[in-house]
Amino acid sequence: MRPLYLLREAMTNLRVHRGNVLIGIVTTAFTLVCFGVFVLLYLNLKNLTGTLQGDIEVVVYLDPGASEQVMSLVQKRLRTEPAAVALTFVSKEQALREFAEQFPEESLLLEGMDGNPLPASVVISLSPRFLDTESLGAFAERVKQLPGVTHVAYSQDWIDTLTLVVSYFELGAVVIGTILAVSTVTIIANTIRLSLYTRKEEIEILRLIGATGAFIAIPYVIEGTILGAVGGGLSLAVLKGIVEFFRLELSASGWFMGVEHMLPVFPKQVSFLLVMTGMLLGCGSSVLSVFGLMKVRN
Amino acid sequence: MIQLFHVSKFYDRCAALDDVSFRIDKGECVILTGPSGAGKTTLLKVIFGAEIPDTGQILVQNRNVARLRGRAIPYLRRTMGIVLQNFQLLPKKTVYENVVLPLVIQGVKRREARKRVVDVLTAVGMDHKQTIRTGVLSAGEQQRICIARAIVNSPILLLADEPTGNLDAALTVEIVELLKRIHAQGTTILLATHNQRVVEQMSGRVIHLQAGHVVIDEGATS
Repeated sequence: MRPLYLLREAMTNLRVHRGNVLIGIVTTAFTLVCFGVFVLLYLNLKNLTGTLQGDIEVVVYLDPGASEQVMSLVQKRLRTEPAAVALTFVSKEQALREFAEQFPEESLLLEGMDGNPLPASVVISLSPRFLDTESLGAFAERVKQLPGVTHVAYSQDWIDTLTLVVSYFELGAVVIGTILAVSTVTIIANTIRLSLYTRKEEIEILRLIGATGAFIAIPYVIEGTILGAVGGGLSLAVLKGIVEFFRLELSASGWFMGVEHMLPVFPKQVSFLLVMTGMLLGCGSSVLSVFGLMKVRN
Repeated sequence: MIQLFHVSKFYDRCAALDDVSFRIDKGECVILTGPSGAGKTTLLKVIFGAEIPDTGQILVQNRNVARLRGRAIPYLRRTMGIVLQNFQLLPKKTVYENVVLPLVIQGVKRREARKRVVDVLTAVGMDHKQTIRTGVLSAGEQQRICIARAIVNSPILLLADEPTGNLDAALTVEIVELLKRIHAQGTTILLATHNQRVVEQMSGRVIHLQAGHVVIDEGATS
């Protein structure tokens, strides 16, 4: 076996059959772009829902008459809850200051009242694992039972809607992702198969003069792998271009001012996934095609 | 060299070869004749392992081809040269690249391979066309390249299936002369043809096939 000869053969084949190779690359790239658009949409929407979920907080209002000791006990108890990622204690005075800042026009209402009517509270940031309606309801119920707690507030409707959207979205992602993945594999495999089928005679000639299966297959497999990698690379460039275009357009629109982290992203793993998928599909399709053509004894 | 024992091959219950037995010794030149469909091509195919006989045994250099596993076939073919009517050359490769291929497959060193290719191309009168792509050559030239490729690894057996089938009378004479020279150097030849003039010019043992049967075996040694 001559590795250099086989590599040179693969390169020559790519050059000689450049028409077929070009069709293979474009098909691979186009199919992977379709798949990549879906993956990016999925990742970005997941990122977005993750950000929104991260913003959900539970506010535990404490009895205005609760002693320092009781308030401290409530906080201590809350820290043991696996759902609570971070706690922020808001004292009565701080609550009043924040109210005045947020609603400067209504702050006059409080001036006429005797003392500070706002209760102290504990703001809890939740772990993403406990953001579904059931877990959150159970958590709120437990917290309500604690001595010194008067009320537990969280946006039930918003959480319900978000939970529903995320579950539908994940189900849709699995279904569409599977269909797209199967289509991608089928289209690329068939393009490479067709390209090799036109060279059936070449394979027959090599077999006639005593070439082994490996000798015949290796250049085709190298060729398919290169074709897949180039197709994957091309799809990567196209997708990067699309994402950058949207980032620039959205940044210029000013809609994401202050929340730039919510702009579309292109994770490094996707680049790797695209090129690797292209290579693996190219390699696998070539192996299947070339050994399929050699199956007949002639 | 080659021994066939009661070899039969059927396609859709129709016998392409029916109880064929004969023996070819080393250095012999055997011409397989018969009308189209007599089984000449099938006979060659079972000898070089492209077809498996339904019954019977085939010994080629003491190897039972009928029982060879698929992966052993390439090694069998490396011991023989095969020339077919439709040339079977790689049209986008040059004359040199086509002829050197059997040597590359066998791992012959580059310098040695080059020497052998030049020698055989000189022998078939094509050494001046080494760098030409075979796709642009004439039919006669392509067949000479095909013969050069078949003999470049000095096989002890040359199988030729209608090697002059696509050639005119003048080119046929050329190819026959070439095959005679190869035979004169000690190569065993089994040539299938339905061209009576080729049979006359080759002057070897004639096996005549009809409907898959051997009906004449002139000059058999045993």
